[in-house]
Amino acid sequence: MSELSIFTKAMLRERKDILLSILGGFFAGIAGVVLFSTSGYLIAKTVFAPPLYTLIILTSLVKILGLARAGSRYGERLFSHRATFSLLSRLRTSFFAKLVPMPPGALNRQRSGDLLARIVGDIEGLQFYFLRVAYPPIIVVSVFLATVLFASFFSVWIALLLVVGMLITAFVVPAIAMIGQRKTDGLVRRQRAAFSADATEMLQGFIDLKVYGKLDGHRENLLTLSDELTAAQQQDAKRLLRGQSLHAFVTFFVSWGVLVLGAYLIVSGSLAGVFLAMLIMASMTVFDESAAMATLPTYKKDSRFAARRLAETFEDEQPTDEPDGMLDVSAPVSVELKNVSLRYEEAWRPVLSDVSLRIPAGAKTAIVGASGSGKTSILELLLKLQTPTLGQLRLNGIPVDELNAEDLWRKSRVVLQQGHFFKGTLRDNLLLEDDSRSDEELLNVLHQVDLPGRKLEDPVLEKGENLSDGEKQRLAIARTLLKSGRLWLLDEPTSSLDYVTERRVMQLLLERAEGDTLIWVSHRLAGLEQMDLIVVMDHGEIVEAGSYDHLMARKGYFYEMKELERQTVGEEDRGEAKRRLG
Amino acid sequence: MAKRKKKTTERRSGRKIALLTELMAVHKRRTGLMRLIALGLGAATIGQAVLMAEAVQRIFVERAALASMIAVFAVLLSVMAVRTLLSYANGRIGLRIAADAKRDLRSRLLRSLAANPLLTARQGQTGGKVSVALDAVDEADGYFSQYTPKMIEASVVPLLILAVVFYLHAPSGLILLFTAPFIPLFMALVGIQTRDKSEEKFDELARFSGTFLDSLQGLVTLKLFGRAKQQEQKIERGSLSYRDATMAILKVAFVNTFALETIVMLGIGIVALELALQLVVFKTMAFHTAFLILLLVPEFYNLLKNAGTAFHGGRTSMGAIRNIETALAENAGSGVAASAEAAEPRTDAASPAAAKPKLGSVIPFSVKAAQLGSQHQPTLASRSEAPPKIELLDPVFRYGPDRFELRVGSLSIAPGEQIALVGRSGSGKTTLLHLIAGLLPPSSGEVRVDGESLTPEREADWFRQVSYITQHPHIFSGTIAENIAIGMVGVVDAEREVSREEIAQAAQSAGLAGLIGELPRGYDTIVGEGGRGLSGGEKQRLALARAFLKRPKVLLFDEPTTGLDLHTERVLMRSIDELSRTATVITIAHRLHTIRHADRIWFMEQGRLIGSGSHEELLNNLPQYAEMIDIGRQGVVS
Repeated sequence: MSELSIFTKAMLRERKDILLSILGGFFAGIAGVVLFSTSGYLIAKTVFAPPLYTLIILTSLVKILGLARAGSRYGERLFSHRATFSLLSRLRTSFFAKLVPMPPGALNRQRSGDLLARIVGDIEGLQFYFLRVAYPPIIVVSVFLATVLFASFFSVWIALLLVVGMLITAFVVPAIAMIGQRKTDGLVRRQRAAFSADATEMLQGFIDLKVYGKLDGHRENLLTLSDELTAAQQQDAKRLLRGQSLHAFVTFFVSWGVLVLGAYLIVSGSLAGVFLAMLIMASMTVFDESAAMATLPTYKKDSRFAARRLAETFEDEQPTDEPDGMLDVSAPVSVELKNVSLRYEEAWRPVLSDVSLRIPAGAKTAIVGASGSGKTSILELLLKLQTPTLGQLRLNGIPVDELNAEDLWRKSRVVLQQGHFFKGTLRDNLLLEDDSRSDEELLNVLHQVDLPGRKLEDPVLEKGENLSDGEKQRLAIARTLLKSGRLWLLDEPTSSLDYVTERRVMQLLLERAEGDTLIWVSHRLAGLEQMDLIVVMDHGEIVEAGSYDHLMARKGYFYEMKELERQTVGEEDRGEAKRRLG
Repeated sequence: MAKRKKKTTERRSGRKIALLTELMAVHKRRTGLMRLIALGLGAATIGQAVLMAEAVQRIFVERAALASMIAVFAVLLSVMAVRTLLSYANGRIGLRIAADAKRDLRSRLLRSLAANPLLTARQGQTGGKVSVALDAVDEADGYFSQYTPKMIEASVVPLLILAVVFYLHAPSGLILLFTAPFIPLFMALVGIQTRDKSEEKFDELARFSGTFLDSLQGLVTLKLFGRAKQQEQKIERGSLSYRDATMAILKVAFVNTFALETIVMLGIGIVALELALQLVVFKTMAFHTAFLILLLVPEFYNLLKNAGTAFHGGRTSMGAIRNIETALAENAGSGVAASAEAAEPRTDAASPAAAKPKLGSVIPFSVKAAQLGSQHQPTLASRSEAPPKIELLDPVFRYGPDRFELRVGSLSIAPGEQIALVGRSGSGKTTLLHLIAGLLPPSSGEVRVDGESLTPEREADWFRQVSYITQHPHIFSGTIAENIAIGMVGVVDAEREVSREEIAQAAQSAGLAGLIGELPRGYDTIVGEGGRGLSGGEKQRLALARAFLKRPKVLLFDEPTTGLDLHTERVLMRSIDELSRTATVITIAHRLHTIRHADRIWFMEQGRLIGSGSHEELLNNLPQYAEMIDIGRQGVVS
């Protein structure tokens, strides 16, 4: 149960709504039992030709109970759902708050977008925990106990029979229903995952599969997987059906037992015959009320699974106490990497191996290399978004692990390759530190980054879906320009822009970073003549470093890359470029 | 967004689901059996109530001796058992139908996807397609396993009960008859009102539920800009407004449920009152009858309520089935249209093969060629050692009506020729290469290899001679050795394993030997899931190793744009030169080196081939070409 502790804590905060929904459910249940037993009693009573007024009282009671029952149900539903959604809100907020201090590198890199979506789904899946798992047993048990108490006034034996029946439905029926469950536990989930992975492979590797004649085999394999998945799902569904049928039979059997036992008691004279119909009706109703218990194990399993996955998110990543070292930005920042290596646990080779680099304060540096050469990782290490496996990074001579991350971020201006854009307006997405900027100033910056004609109130969709890659990059640069900080870390900030715009934006950034330290990561090589230092990387190692002229004169790796780029005929849409060159 | 959503629901609700009718048609016998079982179930339900009432009557009213009751008790217990069994049987049949239907749906989806994902490549993402095959199919389950059996029960059992109650005591029957319609009515109201309301609030709801995911995904950005705290508050605000909006919708549903339950309760209450009056005041009724009716009434209402619940579930499932139908239509749509068109001019001979393309493969073929069949023909591969001659006979390809159209006219590629495909992105280079490869079916016209049209029968032969290196080669889950050896699948005899030496030789030629030598597990290192751990350049080289192992007669190559390491660049250049000595090579070219070394350059613009010739010829005669080469250099040189 420990996985659900987050949930239990949140539940305590919503105790008022929870209490009300339990009360509502209890009254609705009791009212149901009383309603049907009264009806039974009413009919039985008529045999003795009672005075009419007793009948009128009884029938009014039945109607009042009917209304009370419907009303309590309404209340129960209302409060339980409100509690659920409040719980959900609390869970989201507390989950987010818990994620914030986590080392984000792990979230960013190893956990894909899919996983984040799953986290969201898991939290939403937890809503059923309260609604279907946590509180129904409380109601069922309390209604049941009340009925047993009620029945015991008439016959202890019948009360005992009800208890036995309840124990059977609560323990024996689920146990029988779950026979074979252990064997297939999680099977469906695993098969779904396997199916999903294989189907994705078929779609993404279609050309290779087809050309290498493996498509048919792959498809047949998928069909087999699909059949296995369906069979496993059917097994689960059969078990559920078996449980429901057993539950129904136990209900019947208990009312049958009440009938037989009642008959015996009446004949032996220890029970008045007039109560027989009432007790039968009561026993039938109380077991009907417990039907919610039949689906409980399934929901419970799902909730626990969701909770466990959520708990695991935090397991590997313990938030570390942030050091309080502050970065001094009264002067430009110097950067140094000393024998830095980075390796992910599951990878069979390092991302960075033994990288040493010294960037003097105020220098403009370009890091170039093929994709996957480790350029981005250097920026992430400097920003404390990742922790090096070995070696040390220093800013102004201070090791970054002694620097406070929030302070570091406040003093840096960053463009990430996968910078995020939020649903909202353009203004929201500039992520301003405060309200001190005038609209005019903001628009001016948009103009500078070549986004003229854009309004601050223009809508932005989730992940910036309605923006082109180029627009996203220009917007990311705009928000960097509007931020303060003296350490510029730019990861392929212009890769989607045409050469002319790229040149202009680069110029703008270099001007604005005058006197600051700037690191520019790129796989394109245009415009690098202006950089003080160019670092060339390949497969996690620095292969060359020096000024543009120096590297070109050396005729080494950089020179060859440059030659190759010269040889490349562009793929991007040149319409815009052509217009500009015009 | 809300508007679009509304439109689709409007369009959808009016349409009958053909797929569903088709799926259910196969199960006529099973649904018939279910009806039969429902009849039995009704009889058992009524029998149980009759026996129960009888027993109470005898014990309580007639004071019968216990011994005389044993038979009644025994029969009652067996009726209860029969009822349970019948209802279980009904559920089992439902599950069987569901399992069959799900299997059927998944296999249809898979076949349509496997038929040709390139056709729909532009229309949707992989994740969405996989989700349809998984989640939507699972959602569809409810229609068969819950909705169908419950609806059949609801269409039989309540009617039986009603008939019995009418027979016993008409006034009670009338009460049931008048209150019963309110149950489906209110159920429908709940559905309609919540749907309307939720559509009204759809935007709001979508915004709230999206905020959380949006914030998680943008967490790093938020932190870098020091905005995490504000976002936390935003999430809380969003969640709470989400709660309130949802509650507003749910309240409507709850109020309706309240009304519904009140009606049921009042119905039971009125029946009870009426029975009591008959018993006491008019003395026209026996206790036995009254108690029997009282037992039957809740059964009656419960069945209707269950049917209502199942109906709601059924609607969700139907929505999922509609999604599946749409997905199937989308997958098939362009392909079917294309192959239908292609088949039209040559349906001169009716042959059993004519029915075949429907089964999966959308690659059209001429019936004539199919009749000749591959078994009568020497295989393409064995015919000669030289690369085949490839002819394009005015092939046209369209992704759908009013969409991009490729029309390149008739062309011929001589054995061993080197072709460079050049043009802006979106000009149709990749589509043309797919067409030549036989990965896409031409809408009209055809592609011939050594004078023979590409048919599904010849497909395997053709692919045996081809290597296709894409910009992002797919790395299969498995070891590096397996991933290289895949190049030989179907080329060598099935019995003969590709030897480790051959694999090592291919890896050596593709410049992978160094990397593999550094790995602790060498060729047995497991890569996969899209080649995790391999850089883009290494994936390219792995694809090259496959080609070196295969030594294709036709090499199709989509040259990477940028982002490769120098080593790979050098290996690529050298390897293509080497492989081209024994093969026809068609390259989507981005490098001047490749373009200059081609025998012929095909320059494409908007789906048309507007120039063909050598580099110099095009440079002099085709301004668009000259401009493209020029701009390519501009950015770098200036």
